[in-house]
Amino acid sequence: MVTLDVRPQLLDALSALRDRVAAARFPLPLAGAPRARANRDELLAQLDDYLVPRLRQPEAPLLAVVGGSTGVGKSTLVNSLVGRRVSEAGVLRPTTRTPVLVCHPEDHHWFSGMRVLPDLTRVWVPQQDAGNEDLLLPGENPARVLRIETTETLPRGLALLDAPDVDSLVADNRVLAAELICAADIWVMVTTAARYADAVPWHLLRTAKEYQVTLITVLDRVPHQVVSEVSRQYGALLTKAGLGDVPRFTVPELPESAWGGGLLPATAVAPLRTWLVHQAQDPVARQHALARTAYGVLDSLKSRMPELASAAAAQYAAALRLTAAVDTAYDSEHARVRGRLQSGAVLAGDALKRWRAFPLDCTAGELLDALVESLADLLLCAVTAADERVDDAWRREPAADAPELAHHDTEPESAEHRIGLAVRRWRRELEEYAEEEVRALERSPASDPEMIAALVATALLGGRRARSAGEGLAERIGAHGALRLRDRGGRLLAEYLDRVIHTERERRLAPLDALDVHPETQAELIAALSVLQKER
Amino acid sequence: MSAVTDQDHMNHIDRMDHMDHMDHMDRIEHGDHNGQEDSGPVGSADSVDHEGHSRPADRPGHSGEEDRVPEPEAPEASESHDSSASVESSAEPWESGESGESRGDGEASTTDATPENHAPSECDPEGDVQRDARVKAGDGGSGRMDHVIREDHADRTDHADRMDPGDRGGDEDQGGPADRGGHEDRTGRTDWADHPEAGPAWDDGLIARRVAEGAAGAEQAAAVNLAEPRLGEPRLGGPQPVTPPAYDGPLRSRLDALRELVGLSRARLDSRTLAEAGRVLDEATARRRLSGQHTVVAIAGATGSGKSQLFNALAGVTLSETGVRRPTTAAPIACSWSDGAAPLIDRLGIPPRLRRRPAQHADADGLLRGLVLVDLPDLDSAAVQHREQAERVLALVDAVVWVVDPEKYADAVLHERYLRPMAGHAEIMFVVLNQIDRLPGEAAEQVLDDLRRLLDEDGIALGEYGEPGANVLALSALTGDGLAELREALGQFVAERGAPIRRISADLDAAAWRLRPLYATGRRTGLSEAARDEFSARLADAVGATAAGEAAERAWLRNANRACGTPWLRLWRWYQDRCEPSTGRLPVRTQADEEATARQRVEQAVRTVADRAATGLPAPWAQAVREAAVRGAQGLPEALDELAARTGLPPGRPPRPGWWPAAVLVQASMTILQIIGGLWLAGQIVGVMAPNLGVPVLLMVSGIVGGPLVEWSCRMAARGPARRYGMEAERRLREAAAGCGRARVLDPVAAELLRYREVREQYVRVIGAGAGAGAGVGGR
Repeated sequence: MVTLDVRPQLLDALSALRDRVAAARFPLPLAGAPRARANRDELLAQLDDYLVPRLRQPEAPLLAVVGGSTGVGKSTLVNSLVGRRVSEAGVLRPTTRTPVLVCHPEDHHWFSGMRVLPDLTRVWVPQQDAGNEDLLLPGENPARVLRIETTETLPRGLALLDAPDVDSLVADNRVLAAELICAADIWVMVTTAARYADAVPWHLLRTAKEYQVTLITVLDRVPHQVVSEVSRQYGALLTKAGLGDVPRFTVPELPESAWGGGLLPATAVAPLRTWLVHQAQDPVARQHALARTAYGVLDSLKSRMPELASAAAAQYAAALRLTAAVDTAYDSEHARVRGRLQSGAVLAGDALKRWRAFPLDCTAGELLDALVESLADLLLCAVTAADERVDDAWRREPAADAPELAHHDTEPESAEHRIGLAVRRWRRELEEYAEEEVRALERSPASDPEMIAALVATALLGGRRARSAGEGLAERIGAHGALRLRDRGGRLLAEYLDRVIHTERERRLAPLDALDVHPETQAELIAALSVLQKER
Repeated sequence: MSAVTDQDHMNHIDRMDHMDHMDHMDRIEHGDHNGQEDSGPVGSADSVDHEGHSRPADRPGHSGEEDRVPEPEAPEASESHDSSASVESSAEPWESGESGESRGDGEASTTDATPENHAPSECDPEGDVQRDARVKAGDGGSGRMDHVIREDHADRTDHADRMDPGDRGGDEDQGGPADRGGHEDRTGRTDWADHPEAGPAWDDGLIARRVAEGAAGAEQAAAVNLAEPRLGEPRLGGPQPVTPPAYDGPLRSRLDALRELVGLSRARLDSRTLAEAGRVLDEATARRRLSGQHTVVAIAGATGSGKSQLFNALAGVTLSETGVRRPTTAAPIACSWSDGAAPLIDRLGIPPRLRRRPAQHADADGLLRGLVLVDLPDLDSAAVQHREQAERVLALVDAVVWVVDPEKYADAVLHERYLRPMAGHAEIMFVVLNQIDRLPGEAAEQVLDDLRRLLDEDGIALGEYGEPGANVLALSALTGDGLAELREALGQFVAERGAPIRRISADLDAAAWRLRPLYATGRRTGLSEAARDEFSARLADAVGATAAGEAAERAWLRNANRACGTPWLRLWRWYQDRCEPSTGRLPVRTQADEEATARQRVEQAVRTVADRAATGLPAPWAQAVREAAVRGAQGLPEALDELAARTGLPPGRPPRPGWWPAAVLVQASMTILQIIGGLWLAGQIVGVMAPNLGVPVLLMVSGIVGGPLVEWSCRMAARGPARRYGMEAERRLREAAAGCGRARVLDPVAAELLRYREVREQYVRVIGAGAGAGAGVGGR
């Protein structure tokens, strides 16, 4: 005999776990991500809607949720159990769009507040006929509304919830149905003679088995001629699924039942009603039903939390792969740029021609301009190439399809602009250095600072082929000064190079960082679970 | 009515073949059982047992069923073996639940033995359904003998034997418990892979989550299945004359265009992308070879909607088993209203054992002449292989009758997985609302309207008011209400004989639509003149054309100045040079540099031009363009290096303007004037000459002033030629670089673009003239 005695520590651990689950995000579109997201939402909903409120208040009424495929007669069943038309039934599918909760008037306070199903707006239709959706506030999504009905015919301590279809054409309805079913103490799965082999409800039944919830099934709308046959076969299927001990109720197809939305005679649903009332009123049975579902869900955390955690780990791993791709691309381009700088690739093309013509047919300013432009080109080329490599690598990563990552704003113009700024700033600083050097020399009326700057730039950027620039420099400001100037300029160049590459890399990584995929999520989820396990 | 009679009746021409295959299946465990079965009445104790069990249990349901069927048993004497056999077998009810249970238990225990996870036990219900519906060969041969459903199943296995390995693999999956998980997962994703638009909607957690696990394998399997349309061996084809469906002009040209398109694209697109198009082509070819006099119509729908009931009602006899046990029909059954359809049915992979003829009275008016009706297994039950079979056949038939019932007409499975993706096939669709007898009064009309609304939301054109589209009917196969209308509509449809062509055409549309992102773009594509110019300009920058031109111009000017300058100035310069050899005058290098071209600029230029060219192209083609550009750019810098060294300066000595000698002469005469004036003055001072101050001073001054004047005017005059010289140098480099770039990069890129344009035109042709404008691919 399991009872539902809950220590406050368990509740604390559970709310901690709930917060962890709520904080988990799966932004990267990996293969398992949609499912992880759905699992997370589902788990969160189940914790919020069911487990936490149930453990906090074990004395709250039992909630039996009636779920099933479209057209199996859930609403008719609920109406018949209650003995009054509380939920609209009809021939047009899907019929129930607004879930309806029925309870005894004195139980009303349990459900009118936000104790369970806090996401759903409550609609309270006093007493008249079955409410219609005109009563909804304008702009409210009818799917996210819970209508509460009270009736004296239902015993205290039992509430029935008529859920939307689990396989409705309206996707929102399906999600809502799953959420509502997860909030139940007793899952009432309804199917019909025509449907009992449908695939979708079986998935739900398997989930119920997995969570070890208190489950009953109703085989509805069975033509009386085939009652025994169909019911036996359904039973066989259930047994095969390991659900043989699940209480099974059969409701025959009656003329007044189905397609008009009438009420079934009380005798047709009497066994089901009796069972439910017994569960609600007999303290032992009630305790048992409650504890079974609650502990079932608690137990299911053991497998569901690691699942979430591994999804979180997969997210982090994917984010790492993406980051690594960016790092690799930029690092290798960085190395390439440095190599090319050393080999004097900047002193090529225009710059080389200028240098060849330098003292005679070309001014120092022009030479500097050409060198700076060439340097900017080299950097831009490296950045673009790195971006291209990143794109290439990301194309193979499913995680890179995230819309946030797709719209990275590296339009080349802006990169060009940024690089141009950096390079010009470098030039200005280099010129300042040159001026300082020139000023430091008392003699040398001939040394024009710009000329010195041009020579230093050439020597720095020209590699081997600009050896003569170094010589010229030494001649002008002395070997010592030339060495010092070259050192400072070289350090400055390296610094600017690093800065440019770093900035561009950060820009590229910014959207990924904004997704906020941490390695801690996994550990936190697992830790929360283990705390919970200890508290049980 | 025993197992034996069944067997005898079933023993038609295909019998030997069939048994062969069964043998093959059974020999592993039940070899001797088979022998007994073959020999006839030696029914084992098992079979008696089974009957004993099943009869009483099945009776009530069955008799109810019989009551409903209008003409329960009307076997014509002249009926073929098939027909009578099936009639008799229909009296033989389905397999009993208990036997299924017991066997299932045995199976379940073996499954439970695998300890890894509880996936197998989860899957058990399905396994159970499968086992109930379709008897496994290993379950005891005798059981198979007395139930027609078992026979069906045996057919299925037999059929599977003959099928290609892909299909076979699907069957065998069910045997091994280890495979179960994967097999179950095949339920949904199989077709979502084909219809991506339906995919995400169904991935919603608790309910459908399980469906999606391990979809990758299933996708592949599906791809294999789709990629290999099967053609049954035309064993029964016989010598009947076959009139293939006449593909009219537009369709034929569209098919040809598609074939060409696939051919052109093979090098650029991966084969998986083109598989669907290839399948459509193969199907079109296959269908074309077969009879155009017949129209193959499949009856598809959810389990329990009354497909078999409708099938029987149309045929006039109970050909396909109906029942309350879900799912009922496990294998497709074909019924042909006229001769010569055997090859068509072969194509569907329906074994001869499952081919029927309609009751004669049902065909009395010849209304449905040419109809081949196929009753499919369900599409939505937990028995996955039913869905696989149904989908396989659905891809091959000419038209489909979707059967829905008031309970299930709004099922998401039906709409999202089947109707929406097939919305383009509306013209070959009938949507039949069955079981209206279960609806009271005007509710039938309401439901029908709601169904129409749902179909409309699915994007299916409804064939109202004479417009082409899906035919929506309400009927009751049980009471016969509305059946006449369906017969009439079907008869008209079959008589038109347009279904195969419409089917192919719709398939073609769907395939083309799916290929659309690969071929069509909203934007104009191509390499603009501006982009080409920009590329050339960037290459010119890379070789330094501007700087080279300027340097040449200045050098020329400098030389000109030196040539026309006053000798004194030259003397002074020479002296200065000698005094401080280090000031600025660096030795002029003439040797060619290695890597004179700026590599980064070439790289950037190629990247930019490739990006420009690839803008707006569908991804594979954009990639191809980029690759072409990159390939062309290999070796481009080296070529430019060489080129720059070769054509750096205009050959020969720099050209000199004609006035140059004159200027030099004038400059020299100015110097001479100075000297003369100087000498004259000196002579006067010395006293050799008569003192005459005016003339020599004048001479000298004019010489002194004139020298720089000439120099200055020469410099002014030399500007023009120097500029021309520089421009010439720049132009030569620029053109050479541009030519090199054009040959190596632009031309390959342009060729790739041309190829794309060609393919796009082909695609427009595939879409067809009418749809072409709507698709916005741009006119031809």
